[in-house]
Amino acid sequence: MTRRKVQTRRRSKADREFVSEAEEILEAMRADLADLSDRLAACREPDPELVNSLFRSAHSLKALAGMFRFDPIQGLSHRLEDVLDGLRLGRVPLQPALLALIDETVALFAALLERVGDPAAIEASGAATLELTERIAAAASARPEPQDDFASLDLDPMMLRALTEYEEHRLRENLRRGRHIALVQMAFDITRFEEGLSQLGGAVRENGEVLSTLPSAGDVPDSQIRFALLVATDLDAESLAAHLDLPDAEIRTVRASASPAVPAEPAAGGEQAGAPAALREAESEEAPAQPAFTDLESLKSISDTVRVDIRKLDDLMNLVGELVIQRGAIGDLIARLSSQAGTARLADEFAKVHKSLDRKLRELQSAVLEVRMVPLRQVFEKVSRVVRRLRRDLAKDVELEIRGADTELDKLIVEALVDPLMHVVRNAIDHAIEPPEERRARGKAQSGRIAIDAFQRGSHVVIAVRDDGRGIDTERLRAKAEEQGLVEPGALLSEKETLDLVFAPGLSSRESVTETSGRGVGMDVVRANLVALGGLVDVESTPGRGTTISMTLPITLAIIQSLIVGAREQRFAIPLNAVLETMVVDADAIQVSEGRELLNLRGEPLVLRRLADEFGLQTGAAAERPFVIVVGIGEQRIGLVVDRLEGQQDTVIKPIQGPIQELRGISGATDLGDQDPVLVLDVTALVEDAGRRREAA
Amino acid sequence: MPRILIVEDSPTMRSLITSSLEELEGAVKIVEVGSGFEALRHLPREHFHLIVTDINMPDINGLELVSFVKSNAAYRDIPLVIVSTEGSERDRDKGLELGADAYLVKPFEPSDLREVARRLLASAE
Amino acid sequence: MSEASAMRGPTTGAWEDLARSASRPGETAAGGESLRQLLCLSVDGSPYAVPIESVREIVRMRKITPIPRVTRRVCGVISLRGEIIQVLDLRLRLGLSAFEATKSSRIVVVQVDDGRVAGLLVDAVQEVLRVGEEAIGAPASSDVQALVEGLCTRGEEFVSLLDLERVLELEDDA
Repeated sequence: MTRRKVQTRRRSKADREFVSEAEEILEAMRADLADLSDRLAACREPDPELVNSLFRSAHSLKALAGMFRFDPIQGLSHRLEDVLDGLRLGRVPLQPALLALIDETVALFAALLERVGDPAAIEASGAATLELTERIAAAASARPEPQDDFASLDLDPMMLRALTEYEEHRLRENLRRGRHIALVQMAFDITRFEEGLSQLGGAVRENGEVLSTLPSAGDVPDSQIRFALLVATDLDAESLAAHLDLPDAEIRTVRASASPAVPAEPAAGGEQAGAPAALREAESEEAPAQPAFTDLESLKSISDTVRVDIRKLDDLMNLVGELVIQRGAIGDLIARLSSQAGTARLADEFAKVHKSLDRKLRELQSAVLEVRMVPLRQVFEKVSRVVRRLRRDLAKDVELEIRGADTELDKLIVEALVDPLMHVVRNAIDHAIEPPEERRARGKAQSGRIAIDAFQRGSHVVIAVRDDGRGIDTERLRAKAEEQGLVEPGALLSEKETLDLVFAPGLSSRESVTETSGRGVGMDVVRANLVALGGLVDVESTPGRGTTISMTLPITLAIIQSLIVGAREQRFAIPLNAVLETMVVDADAIQVSEGRELLNLRGEPLVLRRLADEFGLQTGAAAERPFVIVVGIGEQRIGLVVDRLEGQQDTVIKPIQGPIQELRGISGATDLGDQDPVLVLDVTALVEDAGRRREAA
Repeated sequence: MPRILIVEDSPTMRSLITSSLEELEGAVKIVEVGSGFEALRHLPREHFHLIVTDINMPDINGLELVSFVKSNAAYRDIPLVIVSTEGSERDRDKGLELGADAYLVKPFEPSDLREVARRLLASAE
Repeated sequence: MSEASAMRGPTTGAWEDLARSASRPGETAAGGESLRQLLCLSVDGSPYAVPIESVREIVRMRKITPIPRVTRRVCGVISLRGEIIQVLDLRLRLGLSAFEATKSSRIVVVQVDDGRVAGLLVDAVQEVLRVGEEAIGAPASSDVQALVEGLCTRGEEFVSLLDLERVLELEDDA
């Protein structure tokens, strides 16, 4: 009885999983179709990867539908898969009409998906499905492919046997084009082979195609794994070796080129190497630390994942937070018990148990925090798709380059990042990147480039969006600001302050309001969103050359270690990841200059800020030998002067609820276990304020 | 306790295969991975008594995985089942040629998968 | 502000039970009109009321952590079941003299429709009044900053029904 119940429960949850996964597949198909039709329209060669990706999507859809016995969907997806298989194997020619038909099919799928769970509705759409099915079947008229013998190739039969039908087709295709076929073998460390492989693959793809990747057993130590890549390339063996520049790789020619080396074509490697190659010469940029990937679809490394509702993660986080607090309270109790003679021995045993509980709790804490950490990849994939759509809608030629997709951030932050990031990218495409004619007129490469770079810097993650467009017209910006009364005419503004005007509400640097970005610049909202997350946003720009928007975010908002300090009668918590050092100072070590207090820190002046002054605290005594806590965000540093250092604690920063929303200098409060909330300092705000005061001085 | 490695990139399919196998008599431990690369990473970590793999996957495909497993002294004795879709008979045949012990065509009945698993796990002992 | 010591009379729990039992849905008055349940509070000697649906919790006085550089009307924050909530001095908010803790002082935690939460410092929590919608009249025109949305009677007295949304709309004048 129980077993059946479990099965039924699984089934309906599985239904939802089916729909959710099917929807993702359909979305990927739509994006690929859009790209494919773009290339067709631009008379460029169709990217085999795109067609293969479409095929694989249809294939997955068919398999899924089959397991769930959704017959009309299964039948349709079967035919769709046939046609796409024919396409990728070269049996069916690629034409706009065919693409339109496939588009229609995807739309029908989406409609059917909405009706899952409503058999009557699915029944009703039966006729439409059948009709479309027949039309597609007709389109898939197969021309049998002549079977080539690969025997003439100097290749291990095992490797040949491991080629799928598709890979055979690609091999045949490349043979026909007279390319050089080679085998590149290399051993990698077993914990990091994916990185190595993608670098190797990326390098090959700049002048050719990776036909197959075969892991081979053999004479390598257990800590390594060897791969043999079958590649087709325009370069001969020598040039390939030089280009790859990997002394550990063994390169062997399987079949030499049948025609003289052809100059590198953008087509074979997809969108990756072509256009940017010209750009790379034109601009002198430092070599990227990690390889840049322009087409995220081909590099998707799917790992086993579980989709979790963020609220559940939050609950989990809260629970762990409460446990952390209780753990602290237990520690205090143990301390009190130890100090009393009668209970000291028991307290000792108690302490041992507590210690192991403590250890387990820390593991749990890290584990839960890890669950919350997700790579930025998902956000970047969304951005990628939006960029493709915008390219068409706005008739701009733009290439998107993304680095650091593996950088991880708290899931909540990542989710909250989507909107601001999307906005910034939309702005760049809409306003910054010039239309192709204008770019040509200015001597720039026709294709604009937007590079998104994500990397970790200490306790923060920086996401920089750089475009090579017009740059910000500071004069226009300033004029508009004066018009709106935000700036006094004639006021002296530094370049940074002028650029900062971009974030002022209501400013739009273009007269027309476009559909895609609404009021032109919603950068005030972007900044507000990021500040709410505890982050920063900065802008740098060079007129005519481009603009860079940098978003800095804390890695996690969850449980963090804090330094508890006392200023006069009050206590504050300072997130430890912002603390650089702490020290005791004599009152006379503090110098005063231009109304500011400074400390000589190893030869550099450190601006000081007394917390008591910052917050107008009057009650309680000031220490004679105060402590200075050096805190920093990015490049800026200040020293906070406090009266007491009370120790370090795990804290869960909670938002302060209530009528007053703007609490400058405070980013939340935390419960330290004795029911007394302690205010958490917003180090970013304090540092910024000090900076502003410095500029004004 | 027998350990089974499932290599399949579709999460839904993966959970279906897992739930089918969980209903085997006796306890089994199931490890799920979403790609050939992940499988390569997991193989050295624990000893598996059965591998179930899809063919069409990103990075390395199922055939390449079979080839790797069956030509590797450490893993070649592990029974291996290929799960493929109808229409790719050529790929399926290649899989068998490369040394796979059984194949199942999607869509398959959970009981069929269990039957095959049972047989292969028993023969390995 | 000192913590209230042990006292006579109903404990906090009892007030909570009272509030919970009072908010039974769907009660109607004799005339068939819908019934409103109002929690009566004593603020600087005068009776005020808040709708029971807005009351999340009533807790005893406890130490309040001050928030620096903020209007005096916000005394600070407390921690309640893991949430950090600002506490308003209702007396100052109503333009009366500042709060002074006594044994009967309470913090009434309220929540308004848009989700905002705050704790209100009051001198005492009295009872739950059941009044028909009709019985709530318009406030006197001179009323405190339009923070009162209605008046009803309790015996000889007038009880001012607070407009919580307005009460929680505070400009920082620090």
